[in-house]
Amino acid sequence: MYSDLLHALPDVFALTNFAAVIIGVIAGIVVGAMPGLSATMAISVLVPFTFGLEPLVALGLMAGIYNGAMYGGAIPAVLLRIPGTPAAVATTFDGYPMAQKGEGGFALQVAVVSSAFGGIASAFALMLLAPPLSKVTLLFGPSEVFWVAVFGLASIIFLLGGNPVKGLISACFGVFVSVIGSDPIYGNDRFTFGQLEMLDGINIVILLVGLYALPPVIDLLETPLKTGGVSSSKLGTESLWKALPRMKGFWKTWLRGSFLGIWIGILPGAGGSMAAFMSYNEARRTSKNPEEWGEGEPEGVAAAEVANNADTASALIPALTLGIPGTAVAAVMLGGLLVHGLQPGPMLFRDNPDIVFGFMWQFLFGAILLIILGGSLATNSFARLLNLPRPLLGSVIIVLMLIGVYSIHGRMFDVYLMLGFGAVGWVMDRLKFPLPPVVLGLILGGFAEENLRLALRIGRGDPMVLFQNTTSLILVALTVAVIIGPSLKKRFIDSRKAD
Amino acid sequence: MLNIFKKTAIAGAMILSAGAAMADYPEKPIEVIVGYSAGGGTDVMARTAAPFIEKYLGDGASLVVKNMPGASGQIGVTEAANADPDGYTLGTFNLPGMMARTIDREADYDRDSFTYLANVVNDPNVIVTSKDSGLDTLDKLIAEAKENPFAVTVGMSSLGGDDHFALIKLQNLTETEFTIVPFKGSAPARTALLGGHVAMGILNISEVAEFQDQLNVLGVATKERSPFAPELATFQEQGLDLVNGSMRGFIAPKGLPEDVQAKLIDAFSQLSSDQEFLDAMAATANPVEVVTGEDFKQLTSDLYDLAKGVWETTPWN
Repeated sequence: MYSDLLHALPDVFALTNFAAVIIGVIAGIVVGAMPGLSATMAISVLVPFTFGLEPLVALGLMAGIYNGAMYGGAIPAVLLRIPGTPAAVATTFDGYPMAQKGEGGFALQVAVVSSAFGGIASAFALMLLAPPLSKVTLLFGPSEVFWVAVFGLASIIFLLGGNPVKGLISACFGVFVSVIGSDPIYGNDRFTFGQLEMLDGINIVILLVGLYALPPVIDLLETPLKTGGVSSSKLGTESLWKALPRMKGFWKTWLRGSFLGIWIGILPGAGGSMAAFMSYNEARRTSKNPEEWGEGEPEGVAAAEVANNADTASALIPALTLGIPGTAVAAVMLGGLLVHGLQPGPMLFRDNPDIVFGFMWQFLFGAILLIILGGSLATNSFARLLNLPRPLLGSVIIVLMLIGVYSIHGRMFDVYLMLGFGAVGWVMDRLKFPLPPVVLGLILGGFAEENLRLALRIGRGDPMVLFQNTTSLILVALTVAVIIGPSLKKRFIDSRKAD
Repeated sequence: MLNIFKKTAIAGAMILSAGAAMADYPEKPIEVIVGYSAGGGTDVMARTAAPFIEKYLGDGASLVVKNMPGASGQIGVTEAANADPDGYTLGTFNLPGMMARTIDREADYDRDSFTYLANVVNDPNVIVTSKDSGLDTLDKLIAEAKENPFAVTVGMSSLGGDDHFALIKLQNLTETEFTIVPFKGSAPARTALLGGHVAMGILNISEVAEFQDQLNVLGVATKERSPFAPELATFQEQGLDLVNGSMRGFIAPKGLPEDVQAKLIDAFSQLSSDQEFLDAMAATANPVEVVTGEDFKQLTSDLYDLAKGVWETTPWN
């Protein structure tokens, strides 16, 4: 197998194949940076065009886009508090406060180096450990996946800090949105009001753009007279080589985030956003100064960005070996692979080694290229956007949002839906309800429901089926720890103070 | 008098020009509406077939694939059913799904809404069991199901699809009962089988061909062995009359001009003898079985009756 890996390398360096990765990374960063455009969308637009391309050109473009977009999402997250992709939500926590403190340039550099680190780690996991890691996926049947989803929801509600009651309400709203559409088992319509457009449920991008992009844009438009903007000096740009030494303390966070991202990537469904939240929570929990997190702690940006790139290549492990995509992007990529006659399964690695391993190399180079392309692209072009007068900037973003949401299915219905979510998001923002639980509620709610019902069918209605094996029990224990952990810790600290 | 003559002349000219237009079909690009996203099985079929149809239509014909995903293909097929029947809008068609949708929910089309061109893909059902289950022959499986009704869990992709109908046929033929576990799609069902979370699965031959070593494949629901995986035995060889599968083809709105219809059907019928096409389809996991025109219409009608019958005894939602 390792000789196959080396054998595939020369083709990757063919001019067109390598150019494809470079173009892909740049396109991915741009797409990721635009609110409303996501990697999923970019790759699904690309797939029909790849019929006429050489396999490694097509796959190189996809690998580049995927890597680029996962970082690109961080750019507006840092500069405007608008996550460019669902996975960049956790990047806003500390990235935006950093930008406000005049450290936006450094935040973007942390994001790009962390993204590249995560991407490289993930590509190595895909290249070297795909077959054994796919066995891990097999351990996760419906009841285990249900517990993963519950654990993810519990973490976001109870660990994110702030007010758990408000977090719970936000998560319930997200879970409610996940219920809309035809139900996962029988296909009965729920809350669709007879609209065919809602039968497939609410697309995560519509919700994300509405909730996250509209409120900040309204803020931008509310301040028409302040045209100050952020000058490049205020952005705090400095060369990457000067910035790197400031990141040397992050290696633990990077390793932990990579591990979490790879791990979550190989589980079906959850994907980059959950990876980023888990990594952020863990890094904060083990930090010496957890109280500074959320106020502009660079390590927070590192934790989120390393994890949301670490799930990219690893999400392809179950996709290539079992045909089950770990993320929505991987699902679209499977389509792109099928177009070139690459059918997922154990035979894939044997039948088309040059293409499959070439594709893996492209993932690795895509991640490395991020450092070179990402840093300069972000600081030299996107950050300049901030110099625009605020109302102009707000208008540009609104146009991008409308185009992005319209282009998902090509229908106005989604645009109205997005504006509706925007109104909800604005109210929630004003009332200080946290928005991340809504996003994760929508992503994980559907998984929790579907897998709970499948598990109960397997157990023929007996709920004990949910507690029947070690993997499930470990996940239950983790969930309980997450829920009662913070209050136990608080009581422990209080009692020590009382002494 | 002159007036009448003039009118006749104009009418005649119009008929002539119309006739000429038909003979020239196609004189502009033909749109093919696919009810699923790019890269799905149906989309790949449409895009693989398109250049070959262009070749057989001749005269620089061009087919443009348009994806209109949503509501399990219902949005796209409804659009195709309601398009102008001029031969410039075609659509992909899935069986039994498209007929099942007219039964399990309200649809703006029925089996008479289409001009049936050709079914191109027939992906037969297979019954597989997990290695952990110990049920490595059809006889063992049926014996277990008879002894312990509902004890065997069956992973499949969604209710009201070909997998489901295959299971109902099996239950009726063998007087057994199974517990259905409908996953969202075949790949998660197959993964649950590999992991031993369900005992048995009903999938399609293209979905298990790559996984034969890790699963027990008990049989294929075809009359004759499938060229896609000729090493796998049929159920009929094992004394069980189970024939079922997932089909994909092409339709046009009803009321297509006869010569256009004939020209299209002629082009589609040439697919089955085109080795290059067959190779391209095999590479994308699409077992080919071309059924054109009236036969395709009859096939659809039969599947509708089957689905209707199933719905009346055991509705799936």
